[in-house]
Amino acid sequence: MAHFTLQINAGGGPVITVFVGVSHPRAVALQAAGQDIPASIEISALVDTGASCTFVDPAIVSALSITPTGSARVNTASSGATPHDTYQYDVALVIPAARQPLVIQTLPVVACELRPNQNFDALIGKDVLNQCLFIYNGAMGIFTLAY
Amino acid sequence: MALEQELQAFKAGLPTWKAEHEGQFALIKGSELVDFFTSYDDALKVGYSRFGLEPFLVKQVHAFEHAQFASRLIEPCPI
Repeated sequence: MAHFTLQINAGGGPVITVFVGVSHPRAVALQAAGQDIPASIEISALVDTGASCTFVDPAIVSALSITPTGSARVNTASSGATPHDTYQYDVALVIPAARQPLVIQTLPVVACELRPNQNFDALIGKDVLNQCLFIYNGAMGIFTLAY
Repeated sequence: MALEQELQAFKAGLPTWKAEHEGQFALIKGSELVDFFTSYDDALKVGYSRFGLEPFLVKQVHAFEHAQFASRLIEPCPI
């Protein structure tokens, strides 16, 4: 099992660097249409066991020029009791590591405003964590992600 | 509004589909159901392969759609 261990970010928690790009099927469609495939974007993401899926800031969606291919109902701590209908986007996600990166070629994500309030651009939710072992060692100030 | 026709078609078809296609992924283009798939990846691949960069919808069939959630103070971008 590949793994890495990082320091817990004092202000933010278990924050990692990830690359977000267009999904593999969209990249194939872009190529077939003779269009350039946008380069993947390097962002900071919080590993969040309190998120049921992966959320990205809409600026990421804009930067990749992707359009929605789905919808989802979303509840957040600030959205009140009634779920909001939001768009879902398909992306590719890579969590880099020295030996073996975790590559997810197609991942549905939901766009949520993260940047104004947080120090990261995405929440890595349980959809990704379901493929991982996540150890949060608060006493030693480190966390480990294995996959 | 993006995917307006597709979302309406999904809403209209759901009462009929939920009995036989619970958990499957519907691929919808315009107001037409294309097919059901057992995985999100397969539905998306067929969507891009048939419709290229044109709009299409992939959505899982559930009699009751559970909301995604985040326990942080973040603002959903409503449709």
